[in-house]
Amino acid sequence: MSKPTANWEKVGDKFYRKVELYKEVFDQDLELENYHAAGAPYSGAVAIYRDESKIYSYRGSAGAKASIDVYSCAGKLIRRINWDKGTIKGLGWSEDEKLLVVTADGTVRCYPDLHGDFTPFTLGNGAEEHGVQSCKFYSTGFVALLGNNHLISVARYDEPRPKLLAIPPTADVVSWAIIPPAYSLSRSVEIILAIGQTLYVVDATDAEDRDFTAGPFRHISVSPRGEFLAFYTEDGKVWVVSGDWSEKLSEYNSRAKTVPKDMQWCGSNAVALAWEDEVHLIGPKSAATKFYYDSFLHLLPDVDGLRILTNDLCEYLQKVPDETVDVFRLGSSSPAAHLVEASSLLDQKSPKADDLIQLIRPSLAEAVDTCVKAAGHEFNIHWQKQLLKAASFGKSVLDLYSSDDFVDMCETLRVLNAVRFYEVGLPLSYDQFKRLTPERLIARLTNRHEYLLALRISSYLHLPTDKIHVHWACEKVRISTADDTTICSLVVKKLHGKSGISFEEIARAAYDEGRVGLATSLLNYEPRAGKQVPLLLGMKEDNIALDKAIESGDTDLIYHVLLHLRKKLPLASFFRVINTRPVATALVESSARVQDKDLLKDLFYQDDRRLDGSNLLLEEALSSPDLPASLAKLKSASKYLADGKDYTFQRTALDDASKLLKMQETMEKDLSSTPTSTPPVLVGLSLHTTLFELLKLGHNKRAMKLQAEFKVPEKSYWWIRLRALVSARHWLELEDLGAKTKKSPIGWLPFFNLILEAGNSRVASGFVGKCVGETSTKERVEMWIKCGLLVRAAEEAYRAKDRGLLEGVRERAGGDAGVEVERLVGLLGRGR
Amino acid sequence: MAPITPFNASEISEKARRDLLLLLESIRGKKNLVLEKALAGTLNLLVKFSTLQEYGVDKPFFLENDNADESQRNVVFLVRGEKASVVGKVAEQIKRLRQNSQIEHEFSIFWVPRRTMVSDQLLEEAGVLGEASLSEWPLFFVPLADDVLSLELEDAAADLYLRKDPTSIFLSAKALMLQQQKYGLFPRIIGKGDNAKRLADLLIRMRNEVTAGESSSGSGSFLGLAPSSTIDSLIIIDREIDFPTALLTQLTYEGLIDEVFDISANQTEVDSSIIGGAAPQPGQTGSASSSMKRKIVIDPKDPLYSTLGDSNFAIVGNLLNRAARRLQSTTERNQLATKTTAELREFVAKLPGYQAEQGSLKLHTSLAEEIIKHTRTDTFIRSLEVQQNVMSGADPTTQHETLTELISRDMPLPTVLRLLCLESTTNAGMRPKDFEMFKRAVLQAYGPQHLLTLSALEKMGLLQARGGSALGAPAAKPGTVTNYSPLRRSLRLWDDEVNEAEPTDISYVFSGYAPLSIRLIQSIIQKQTLANIIKPPSNPQTSAQANPLAQGLRIFDDASKYVKGTTFDERQVGEEKAIKARSMLNGSYHDGSKAIVVFFLGGVTRAEIAALRFVGGQLKEVGGEGRGSRIVICSTGIVKGGGLVGSAIETGRFS
Repeated sequence: MSKPTANWEKVGDKFYRKVELYKEVFDQDLELENYHAAGAPYSGAVAIYRDESKIYSYRGSAGAKASIDVYSCAGKLIRRINWDKGTIKGLGWSEDEKLLVVTADGTVRCYPDLHGDFTPFTLGNGAEEHGVQSCKFYSTGFVALLGNNHLISVARYDEPRPKLLAIPPTADVVSWAIIPPAYSLSRSVEIILAIGQTLYVVDATDAEDRDFTAGPFRHISVSPRGEFLAFYTEDGKVWVVSGDWSEKLSEYNSRAKTVPKDMQWCGSNAVALAWEDEVHLIGPKSAATKFYYDSFLHLLPDVDGLRILTNDLCEYLQKVPDETVDVFRLGSSSPAAHLVEASSLLDQKSPKADDLIQLIRPSLAEAVDTCVKAAGHEFNIHWQKQLLKAASFGKSVLDLYSSDDFVDMCETLRVLNAVRFYEVGLPLSYDQFKRLTPERLIARLTNRHEYLLALRISSYLHLPTDKIHVHWACEKVRISTADDTTICSLVVKKLHGKSGISFEEIARAAYDEGRVGLATSLLNYEPRAGKQVPLLLGMKEDNIALDKAIESGDTDLIYHVLLHLRKKLPLASFFRVINTRPVATALVESSARVQDKDLLKDLFYQDDRRLDGSNLLLEEALSSPDLPASLAKLKSASKYLADGKDYTFQRTALDDASKLLKMQETMEKDLSSTPTSTPPVLVGLSLHTTLFELLKLGHNKRAMKLQAEFKVPEKSYWWIRLRALVSARHWLELEDLGAKTKKSPIGWLPFFNLILEAGNSRVASGFVGKCVGETSTKERVEMWIKCGLLVRAAEEAYRAKDRGLLEGVRERAGGDAGVEVERLVGLLGRGR
Repeated sequence: MAPITPFNASEISEKARRDLLLLLESIRGKKNLVLEKALAGTLNLLVKFSTLQEYGVDKPFFLENDNADESQRNVVFLVRGEKASVVGKVAEQIKRLRQNSQIEHEFSIFWVPRRTMVSDQLLEEAGVLGEASLSEWPLFFVPLADDVLSLELEDAAADLYLRKDPTSIFLSAKALMLQQQKYGLFPRIIGKGDNAKRLADLLIRMRNEVTAGESSSGSGSFLGLAPSSTIDSLIIIDREIDFPTALLTQLTYEGLIDEVFDISANQTEVDSSIIGGAAPQPGQTGSASSSMKRKIVIDPKDPLYSTLGDSNFAIVGNLLNRAARRLQSTTERNQLATKTTAELREFVAKLPGYQAEQGSLKLHTSLAEEIIKHTRTDTFIRSLEVQQNVMSGADPTTQHETLTELISRDMPLPTVLRLLCLESTTNAGMRPKDFEMFKRAVLQAYGPQHLLTLSALEKMGLLQARGGSALGAPAAKPGTVTNYSPLRRSLRLWDDEVNEAEPTDISYVFSGYAPLSIRLIQSIIQKQTLANIIKPPSNPQTSAQANPLAQGLRIFDDASKYVKGTTFDERQVGEEKAIKARSMLNGSYHDGSKAIVVFFLGGVTRAEIAALRFVGGQLKEVGGEGRGSRIVICSTGIVKGGGLVGSAIETGRFS
């Protein structure tokens, strides 16, 4: 076994290593120099396409066809997309391995998984006229540079909203780079443009000149987490600047005559410059090293390192992790290094093993941790084993040690080694795996149709398997040629009893393949009613869709289906559909009430709902602009009810309303022609208020006429009359009324109360005597007192011979009244 | 580990707050906020305006006013997405701003509580879907007090009973489901009413769907869908089964504040002449009230108010008096002289507290005075008289005289309608003759446009002729209408010996009438006490357990026969393994500390809240029945009679 340090290279005081991941990656005939390459983050797939501007050797008609080829890192062709859709100006990946292809006319095609079909959208914002020049991608979005230097940003792919950013000057852009929103200070994407001698920083709101003079900058690169920026100047120097632009950290002179083909960060520690077959790696403090290759190479940056791709090799260049340095560095005297040594001595059955252990005893726990971590960072299975063995040995010596990390690491390494296998071709580093998360690793495996491995890993790591099953079933449905029932039973048999299976998704896949029958039978297995609705609508199973929507109870879904149906069906059939479903009818009704009264009218007519129809007309009458229109509507409202005998009350009420309005209008006219004071406004008032207004103004005749016409009960009429007279302060009339009339249908007490309330105790007192029938003596005494007439109160009490009451009055009386009351008290006393 | 409290009010509001602020933060720079009026109170309750400003909100606008200006590039809409009309308004304003403005705006819409497909569709039709970035503010329950969670759906009652639109049922189910996912399933769902049954069905359906759908979310759901060990049960009460309780004038202090001044989202507006120059509340959302109205926060955490709020108004005067005297004695000057310096320091430290209390005392004294003025009006007295007579079971026809008089005297329409509806709902409808007579009287007195009002009330089932519909259908079948006559006796809905000062029974909240809704709840959670109220044991010495009425659900079952709508009692069981795991995690709970969740579909009144708190207090006492000491009250919103009939009242008139 070769030493683990064999591929290490010292740059400054740090070590870097080149891990050979795969050999014989591409066919030797593939002229990599004529291709553009883009690698998905976290060691994902690599997409290459031929650079149209370069000459290539003719290989018959097959080779002449343009295509985008997607390979795994090990060089396994995953997919070939034949391309005849225009010049590719941007090819990139999202974090979840969506392939994005941007063409010159601003069309973006998003291939959501490695095998499926694409969804297109356009950039707009002038992309079509000016053409896309190039694109830069980050984890969830990308930025496109147009011919007129406009920048368009797309932040997400599920609902892409291309946004035009602030507009930079139009001079030629030498090079450019982006800072992803997650790492920029403003939390939105920022763009660095090299224009002329200087640099511009552009975001959504402004384009700021950074006032540099050392340009033009040939390459710009931003470190994976945005902490550092690297610039390559015209005279062959590499500048490293901190992410906040505050400090220039280092400068390196490459002394190269030709501008490098590419410049990328290797993790966050070093910058790699790439020429055709040469790589310069520049570490902190301008220390550098050089690597030479046999053939043309591509740099594929990742979060913690750099993949280097040639025809023969796929290599991973990264800073050697600290733990690994600790263990393996030549002459390392760290406890971990001793522990590994001790473990190998133990294998040789040497007693020195124990000596070593005793030596590092105090820091043994730490040494075990380091070994476990170093094992994680190791790509070579032999050394992984050695390190874990050492950790296990150290663990056994310790009295108390939590083995969780150790166990986790063993599990993780098993998974990592499995996916690194060349047929799978996902050479994830430990850090990448942690960032990618196991769930998304599973998603990547299912996208590669590695179902068995995905299932094994899921059950090994206790992850849900539903998505894998669904993905498998969808794929099965897509490619299988068997008949519907066979597939359906096959799928159902396989997925039976598994929780979380979305049959809707499988059914949708079937439907998209044009297998409607299969889709319908699969959909029956979907337990979530709401989920089924959109697909059912798509399948034109409108009635079932509506029923399912109602079943789900979600009114939004029901509305959704109803809107759809309303657009699609003629009115009569629409009504037929909703007729038998009360919830649907209620929802149509309540939304139509605000939006579409005509629809409502038709609905009521169709259903023969006369009362509702008539009410609707009444509503219209209320909102009519003038009286004739209102009257016409009222008339039709009444007519609407003509046939039914159950609506007599309603009809009469409507007719009365018209009659009232007409009478109000005539009276208003009459009164405004007579030269009285301001004529009253009567139209629109209620009957009672009309009477009230008329009586207030003394138009008693007209009021009587109205009363007779509408059969206003006598009691109500009297109340209105009383209120009107009091409010108009017609005291004389009130007294008159009291004097001339013997009996009032509402009694006389209200007269007393209301008049007193209005503040006229004199007139009020006139009614006390009339209240004999409806009040007790005590109450009448109170009434007199309220009017301030204590003598009368005393007399009242005296008449009733109520000594108690009388004495009550005496207590309040004073002055002349007091004397009189005293006299009455005396009289009563003597009478006994 | 701290015990997990389900339906934790502060947790819920904190989450809602965080969610909103995160959303606001996601939009760079200053922004104008356009919000629906109905959400303003809720927003104010959760987030102070000053905090909103810190998060870049420049100017707030009301969606209804249609006056959002172009002063900021970012415009944020905060609206509910369930109603097409609201979505339409948003689309219009985006279009208007886009046309009039010089600068290119960035529009964002925060849908509350969820983004709907219909809103997408409508925005697309209006051609603005691509203009705005859409997100959701999942605001379901809004805590109004520690034990009151409201969905704050203003139109819920009208939607449910007038328009038969079940949106609020779905939103309720979603809200409850979210809680279930967090704290476990309700071990038991019991309730009454057709809509309540629908809600229970939806909950069960959603549970199945969640089991079917979201197992991919990891191991959390495995526990989430086992029955909870911290919740005793969910009781769902449909407003429809007990309209009279909502129609009555509430007689608790908080209830009366609501009746007189209106409370919305714990705030009320009072004429500033009433409360004088109290300091304005800092950090109000909305326009500064320079006008005569002043906003007052009804704070359930205010120590003085917490003793007043749920008391019968009759004793509020005494309570205020007592508080005033206590304050006076502690702060009196001559007492200070005798204090040592240490005592003095302690006293000074408490001063701000005293000042706050004094302020609150002043405020509530002024409010109480104003309410007393209101309760002395003839309208109030007469209508209360009718209410008490109707509820105590007097022949309704004896009240007709008063009713006609009130109509002839042009009393406010809502008051009159409340009384008419009360008569109709307590007596399973009016006699057809009386019904027509009153309808005619209302039309003559208040105008023919109220034909619409009356027919809306009929649709809601608030005002009916006896025998169900106006069509003279055969006598009502059992379960289609709530029949109060037998219930009045079997549940003892009327209490003649009510004691308002030291209440012994929930009847104190209406000075005699014990709300049916609460009685039903008592028949489930407080059987023993209720049984003793209904049928006092002949020998007070015998153990309370002996009352045969308290066995099983006898009272509840007997009573539900006379109450409108479906009765249901579902148990949600889970795998034994999961239950065990959950109780291991949460620690075992005594039955006594479990929460009972009561959900009022279609709204709850403040009087009912007071009554339920009273029940909760009794449960907590030693010797209480201890099935759960914490009652959590959830509802689609707070209602009162005025609002209930108000939603039916036609506001247009001929002109």
